[in-house]
Amino acid sequence: MSPTARRSGRRRPRVGVVKFASCDGCQLTLLDLEDDLLAIAERFDIVEFPEATSRRSAGPFDVLLVEGSISTEEQLEELLRLRRESTTLVTIGACATAGGIQALRNWSEHGPWAATVYPRPELIESLAMATPVADHVTVDAELRGCPIDPQQLLELLTALVVGRRPQLPDESVCAECKRRGATCVVVSQGTACLGPVTRTGCGALCPVYGRGCYGCFGPRNDANVVSLIANTAGLDDSVASTRLAGFTAWAEPFRSVIDDHGGPPGAKP
Amino acid sequence: MSTRSTVDNALASGWFGAGLTDAARAHLADMAHLTSYPIGEVVIREGQAIDSLAVVVEGRLALRLNVPGRGAVTVLTIEPGDVIGWSALIPPHRATSTIVVLEPTSVVELEGAALRARLDEDPILAAAVLWRLLDAVARRLSATRTQLLDLFAQPDREPW
Amino acid sequence: MAQAIASTNVPRWLPADQLDRLIDVLRADGRTIIGPTVRDGAIVLAEIQGAADLPAGRGDEASPGRYRVTQREDSRRFDHAVGPMSPKRWTFPPRAPIRLGRRTSAGVRFSGVDPRPTPRPTPLAFIGVRACELAAIKIQDHVFLDGPAVDGDYRARRASAFLVAVECATPTSTCFCTSMGTGPEVTTGFDVVLTELDDGFIVRVGSPAGVTVVDALSLSPADGSAMKAAEAVVAGARDAMGSPMNMENVHEGLQASPEHPGWAAVAERCLSCTNCTLVCPTCFCTSVVERSDLDGSISTSERTWDSCFNEGFAKVAGGSFRPLVKDRYRQWLTHKFSTWWDQFGSSGCVGCGRCIAWCPAGIDVREELAVIGGVGPVPMPQLSVVAAATEAPVTISPGSVPAAFVTVHVDGSSRETADTMTLHLSTTDRRLLAGRPGQFVMATLPAFSAAPISISRFRSDGLDLTIRAAGPATRALTELERGSTLGVRGPLGRGWPVEEMTGRDVVIVAGGVGLAPLRPLIDACLAERDALGAVRIYLGARTPTDRLFVEEVGRLALRMDIEVEETVDRAGPVWLGRVGIVTQLFDHATWDGRNAVAFVCGPERMMQATSEVLFSRGIDVDRTWVTLERNMSCGVGLCGHCQLGKFFVCKDGPVFSLAELGPAFTTDGL
Repeated sequence: MSPTARRSGRRRPRVGVVKFASCDGCQLTLLDLEDDLLAIAERFDIVEFPEATSRRSAGPFDVLLVEGSISTEEQLEELLRLRRESTTLVTIGACATAGGIQALRNWSEHGPWAATVYPRPELIESLAMATPVADHVTVDAELRGCPIDPQQLLELLTALVVGRRPQLPDESVCAECKRRGATCVVVSQGTACLGPVTRTGCGALCPVYGRGCYGCFGPRNDANVVSLIANTAGLDDSVASTRLAGFTAWAEPFRSVIDDHGGPPGAKP
Repeated sequence: MSTRSTVDNALASGWFGAGLTDAARAHLADMAHLTSYPIGEVVIREGQAIDSLAVVVEGRLALRLNVPGRGAVTVLTIEPGDVIGWSALIPPHRATSTIVVLEPTSVVELEGAALRARLDEDPILAAAVLWRLLDAVARRLSATRTQLLDLFAQPDREPW
Repeated sequence: MAQAIASTNVPRWLPADQLDRLIDVLRADGRTIIGPTVRDGAIVLAEIQGAADLPAGRGDEASPGRYRVTQREDSRRFDHAVGPMSPKRWTFPPRAPIRLGRRTSAGVRFSGVDPRPTPRPTPLAFIGVRACELAAIKIQDHVFLDGPAVDGDYRARRASAFLVAVECATPTSTCFCTSMGTGPEVTTGFDVVLTELDDGFIVRVGSPAGVTVVDALSLSPADGSAMKAAEAVVAGARDAMGSPMNMENVHEGLQASPEHPGWAAVAERCLSCTNCTLVCPTCFCTSVVERSDLDGSISTSERTWDSCFNEGFAKVAGGSFRPLVKDRYRQWLTHKFSTWWDQFGSSGCVGCGRCIAWCPAGIDVREELAVIGGVGPVPMPQLSVVAAATEAPVTISPGSVPAAFVTVHVDGSSRETADTMTLHLSTTDRRLLAGRPGQFVMATLPAFSAAPISISRFRSDGLDLTIRAAGPATRALTELERGSTLGVRGPLGRGWPVEEMTGRDVVIVAGGVGLAPLRPLIDACLAERDALGAVRIYLGARTPTDRLFVEEVGRLALRMDIEVEETVDRAGPVWLGRVGIVTQLFDHATWDGRNAVAFVCGPERMMQATSEVLFSRGIDVDRTWVTLERNMSCGVGLCGHCQLGKFFVCKDGPVFSLAELGPAFTTDGL
């Protein structure tokens, strides 16, 4: 029997989808895989998926897809428990992999903000920071993006079944922009764009529509943010922290560069 | 008992002694004797005081370090021509590894204190001997560095 | 036919309002017309319907990191320089499916070859092609068509392409074709060339296909005043670019400067974003992406544009050979301006300036060449960028397409170590069976990327592959059981120079799995034992359990006519053999290497240390051969991954003599 045949002869992997501080958009991406959903359901035993089923199951999980950042003590305890019950833990989306948009509060003092927003701030139980999952437990793989790309999710699931390495390249958004034949907005329009330092995965969605990249997929390896600010059109020190303080602001090296530029705008209530 | 000419011939057979002048080798032979070890014999243990330098004539010896929980690890084997016991010349004169005999082995043994005294009073002999000793130690240092790099190691296992 | 061109090559006149007649003639032949048009703030190349789509009255300006479309006062259609796209996008598309893999009841099957032999793309006509682009097309023709391997996909697309060139009138500040000897005059490689004046075009032909098209237009000859005006157009373009750079020393200058501080300086600005390579009209590096269904039973292999600026580009299981951005910038600039000469007999740069304009950080290669490559500003006689340029139209050579993946059967397998297996394969494929010791194959399964694997034995009815499970693809191969099948393409590369052994002593040094490609060489030694002097084999491994072919090596060691010495890096108390590094097996040996040849395979650092000891024993660098590991993907020198200085390791190696490698063997990050 071939290795693949042997693999397919095994019981279906138990898959869980869980969320912490997040908007559910990433787990909905799984439902967006309409054409492949049946095949996925045949291959995987989806035992936990709050957006799709009210069925609840305890671990163990062969594969656990984790959405959301860790913002409360309760979430942290839950995450530690789930990690113990999971063989392969995959973080999905900018919140789980980088802290998400809510990590912008990490630059602020928690107390004064809560007092501004809530009539009874003492009822708000929250950790001082919203942090990515990898700050707390070992992460086996991550899918970047806000939200994640359905094709990357399918690729990851396929790779897990087949037993190969998922093809999630760490290259710039520019590479995909050029393959798609889009014209560089930095060079042709002087538009601020994080594409050169951001990991591909979105299909260069914004540049294709003439907008600069917002960095949804977070920094790639070798992200030379200092040169991007110093040398590319549309960006300079005055706007750097505004541009970087988005969905993946808390990921390095974006975080350090934001720090060096006085933190994100409006960090105080 | 080994005769002086047997010792001299034994010294001349390996790289350590082969390049020495006849005079230098004769000086060493005068103060040396042949020693044999059976398989399995522990020549010396790591940390023990060591009082002789030896040139291996035939056989094979293992230099071992003991790692608690992992047992004895052989880090180097010594072949004919090479030396053991260089610590006998350098303070604090303690063995840096345990030496175990893997094959029936004979060595030309030089008593440490006597050799040190002799080298102190004979700079020409000292230059010849220490030069070779430096070569032996440098080879081991270089080899140890290469072993540290663990060139054949596998990268970390990926989750797939 | 050359006569016919000459007799009809009287410059003709095409009135400005009749340009559509030319386009219609081209379209009548079933061609899709690709030409310049304004889109998204740039003059891009795209399919056009007619002359109305051309950028009449629009121009462009470009400087490092900046490009703008401008409005002109005239209504000429081609008074712009080059935009971000080049015809490469169509002759060598960003994505191309190259192979289909299937698991069937009869085993794995691969259809299509790598690259495809005879696709039938829509025939194309490019309009507005500049001299620099023609030079770029000629360079890619040479890379893909002149062998030893031929890219079938490119050949088919290129053969159908009709090229309507246009004389450049308005270069931008990033243009430097005069420095590269490629322009601005259009001289070769076109079917038809136009020179645009206010009221029409001078039309000349450059190929039999061009004659046919222009004849169909029944144009009258151009008059003298128009011809004079046309000359002024080109002269004006040349003047606009100013003094050319002196590129005379750049070939030697770049290769002599691998440690120049300029590399680190430019790496501080470089974003490693890949834009320069993807806008370059000659860059040809690609990767193969595998897609499959959830069962992994049907898969598509797609070739995509890749870039030497990506960290993963030069990666193997142990890490990247170019870990730093400065390594990658050096690879790109050195390849483009220097090692391209060694590989293909020309520069890889045509001076189109796209990499300057479209670098978001505004890095200007001309400045980097001046700093690092010793390129001076003084006008000097230049190297002609396109070697042996002729007036003859481009001919498409037949060439040989690299072999397809063939299905081979697993007759059995032997476990060598915890992570290494030897597969015993049977095949009747004559190319595979005719391989040489030291050659390798690409081995694959549907849905998995193909991996380069050394052939560890040749038999009359098959071969052995020894595979270490370094990643998922190789692990899947090691798990194959008797009766299963896999796809194999090869044999590839240059093997060991077996003939050099005759009448000489032979020294073979192997580290770890490096013994696998040396085993067929040892087989050859045994077969020719009487013709050789002493044969000495030195083997190193990490631990006793990491040794390969243990029983076989044991039998070899018993032979009186071969010396075999083994050592391991470390061992437990049970091991009675030698412990130490492999060079300690012979650095105090008494043999003389002056009549010896040496063959070495193992981790690169082990091979470097070994070579030094071999040299000290009298074996000169031209008698020591090593085999290198790189990220080999296509195996035939067309994907660019495995470059080491001027070499494609897959095609020029993987076996090299130290004399051939020179400093490339020990330069970090090359």
